[in-house]
Amino acid sequence: MVRTVKTGLVIAVLAVAFSLQARLHAQDDMKQDGMKQDEMKHDKMQDDKMTHESMAKTLFTGKFHGKVHATSGRATVYQEADGKLVLRLTNFKTSNGPDVHVILVATKDAGDDANFLKNNTERVELGKLKGNEGDQNYEIPAGTDLAKFRTVSVYCERFNANFGAAPLEKF
Amino acid sequence: MNQIANSRLSRNKLALILIGIPVLGGAWWAFRPEKLFINEKVNEAAPFVADTEAQPVYTGKLEGKIHQTSGRATIYKSADGKHYLRLTDFMTANGPDVHVVLVRAEDKALEQEIVKGELDHVELGSLKGNQGDQNYDLPAGVDLNQYQAVAIYCERFHAVFGVARLEKF
Repeated sequence: MVRTVKTGLVIAVLAVAFSLQARLHAQDDMKQDGMKQDEMKHDKMQDDKMTHESMAKTLFTGKFHGKVHATSGRATVYQEADGKLVLRLTNFKTSNGPDVHVILVATKDAGDDANFLKNNTERVELGKLKGNEGDQNYEIPAGTDLAKFRTVSVYCERFNANFGAAPLEKF
Repeated sequence: MNQIANSRLSRNKLALILIGIPVLGGAWWAFRPEKLFINEKVNEAAPFVADTEAQPVYTGKLEGKIHQTSGRATIYKSADGKHYLRLTDFMTANGPDVHVVLVRAEDKALEQEIVKGELDHVELGSLKGNQGDQNYDLPAGVDLNQYQAVAIYCERFHAVFGVARLEKF
């Protein structure tokens, strides 16, 4: 009896610890971007006053690939007239999952289930995936070096797994 | 005797429930298995491009090794419904009677340096320059589902200088 309870407790503690750990990692990456995101919000408020008269420039584009988590579609980076960078996903589809984010990674490309935490790959957080299907936009923090962060990844933070990657090419 | 056995059984059950529920809860929280069956669909509009401007519909990278060809070929649809091809960052070898054509992406002839016989193609015009950005109008009614590649084609020698296989933008 005592043994059953003990075993049970150990399992419960492990489950909780596992959940917390995943959450901690997710937070680690978010912290750095907190400041930037605040700056972005200010930018945006100014932008709203301006009219979007001139056309946005298309800088980079790439196709998503990912077989394990069936990811497809196109990722395109636009530069708006005021210099702000926007990532837009079109014809997009991926598998739904827990704590999935859109990130830029400092690699040429990424394979299915690539673990950027283990590989120590630098990344830029763009935000939580808004939906696993459909067209969607993400702001890219000002000053992001797109010559370095050359791949868009749909990344499951909880399990540190790349669902799909789109290597960006000059448009 | 019987009572003790009973109470032991119920205590076991209670312990199992007390431990089982948080464990199941934790597992559910971590894996969120219901997400396998639930789709979250979004449809955000592009935040910038106005309707009056031409939209890219297909794009592809130009490649050609023997006659070094590079750059990007993009097919735009303008507001009036007309399609045109635009070459950017473009570079190819100069040559005699070089044309820009649409070809069938799966055409085996494209794998050869010199095409034997006639290449099934849609003429877009003589190459305006072997370097630099340039536009070509597409004939009305051209079937882009059939002709899904752009080729830089030397008609005199039936030589394929470069090919860009188009993908949906």
